[in-house]
Amino acid sequence: MMFRRTFLKTVLVLALAVGAFPGLGHAQTGDAAQKFITSLAQKAITTVADRQLSQSDRDDRFRKLFVSAFDIPEIGRFVLSRSWRTATPEQQQEFLGLFEEITVLTWSKRFQDYNGESLETVSATKDGDRNWFVDSHILRAQGTQIPVQWRLKEADDGSFHVIDIVVEGVSMAITHRSDYAAALQANGGRVDGLLTIMRTKLDQLKAAG
Amino acid sequence: MPSNPLGKIALRLGMAAVAALLTGCATPPPDDDPEAKAEFEQINDPLEPANRAIFSANQEVDTYLLRPLALGYRYVVPSFGRDRISDFLDNLKSPIYLANDLLQANFTLAGTTVGRFALNSSFGVFGLMDVAEPMGLPSHQSDFGQTMGVWGIGEGPYIVLPLFGPSNPRDTVGMLAESQADPLDYYLQTGGRHWMYWTRMGLGAVSTREAYLDVLDDMQRTSLDYYSAMRSLYRQRRAAQINGAKDPDKYTPPPAGMSSVPANK
Repeated sequence: MMFRRTFLKTVLVLALAVGAFPGLGHAQTGDAAQKFITSLAQKAITTVADRQLSQSDRDDRFRKLFVSAFDIPEIGRFVLSRSWRTATPEQQQEFLGLFEEITVLTWSKRFQDYNGESLETVSATKDGDRNWFVDSHILRAQGTQIPVQWRLKEADDGSFHVIDIVVEGVSMAITHRSDYAAALQANGGRVDGLLTIMRTKLDQLKAAG
Repeated sequence: MPSNPLGKIALRLGMAAVAALLTGCATPPPDDDPEAKAEFEQINDPLEPANRAIFSANQEVDTYLLRPLALGYRYVVPSFGRDRISDFLDNLKSPIYLANDLLQANFTLAGTTVGRFALNSSFGVFGLMDVAEPMGLPSHQSDFGQTMGVWGIGEGPYIVLPLFGPSNPRDTVGMLAESQADPLDYYLQTGGRHWMYWTRMGLGAVSTREAYLDVLDDMQRTSLDYYSAMRSLYRQRRAAQINGAKDPDKYTPPPAGMSSVPANK
């Protein structure tokens, strides 16, 4: 009898936990979202500011950090927009590869100009099931703070990935999408034409160091 | 053929304007392609061929005149001096900021503008030092295009103005109205003070360009199509400034369009 009651209770608790609140086990909190951004900024700064490392080691670490923290395929699909569906799987693959290279190089160059700025998170807001906005600002030694909003996506296992950065109201993803759409249009909407432009751009970025 | 650089620039701009009139409008996509049509409307640039012609003429002015001046200014004047100049110029715009804060019915910001002007003009030595910011009165800018946006007037189609760059009909009207309404401008244009008017304008242009040196260099280096990237940047920035003025407590507004990520992977 005793056993049965305990068993029933257990079942009830499990049913409540699993059935009534699906996904509760993995649901993240605003605190966790803010911590993710704080730690990401900290890791990026430690990497670029580490003078013990050679430039190529720094680049490698920066790349690993960037690729693990950002959902580059998701951003890439958004940027390619409706042309994603008309692209062949090979084109999609090549696009994502080039997009990742260009994005990582762009950001590692931006971080080379790092000059003691720090990042402070302000708040985290949930948007729908899986998306979060984390508001933050960049503090500079001089001048006003720069507001930066991070858009995060929560994966099934509760891990976060960055899908957009909004600086002073300007979204990187939307700006990229406009930019890439124009490059596509200039090539009559052909994805192959876009890929050629992206390859050229990548070579230019690499040449510029 | 004018031989001085300014004459050449004027000629280039004139040619660009003629070319712009001849090239006309962008062709809207056919009705049977709703997605292309939605994209066309979202980009909001029916005068794109004309705009691109003016944009590239502006780029030449920038490459050969404004950007070198900004680089020289950065090289010659140390960062401390540049900050004093930009603080001074910003303080001179206080009457315009105040008028717009009031027109936007944003009385808290209007109070901030008055407080900043009083503190910076006195303790800040004629506005050279921004002493109000550390005292809890952060700087902000407001303009008449933004005010009209707050009133609910739409931006209209994207346009690129000769020399002034990215704009739209609403912001162009705002800019013209402000140039007429600025009491300081009015004062400087009378009684033989024209040189001060032009000095203020030239210094403002170089100081602003210097502030944007890194951002614009980065944008030009990393974008596939600089024109489109600038258009997107300008339109998002203006929308954010207007939304920020409507609801000052709110942080940057969430960008629209993320939900339109294609579902299939």
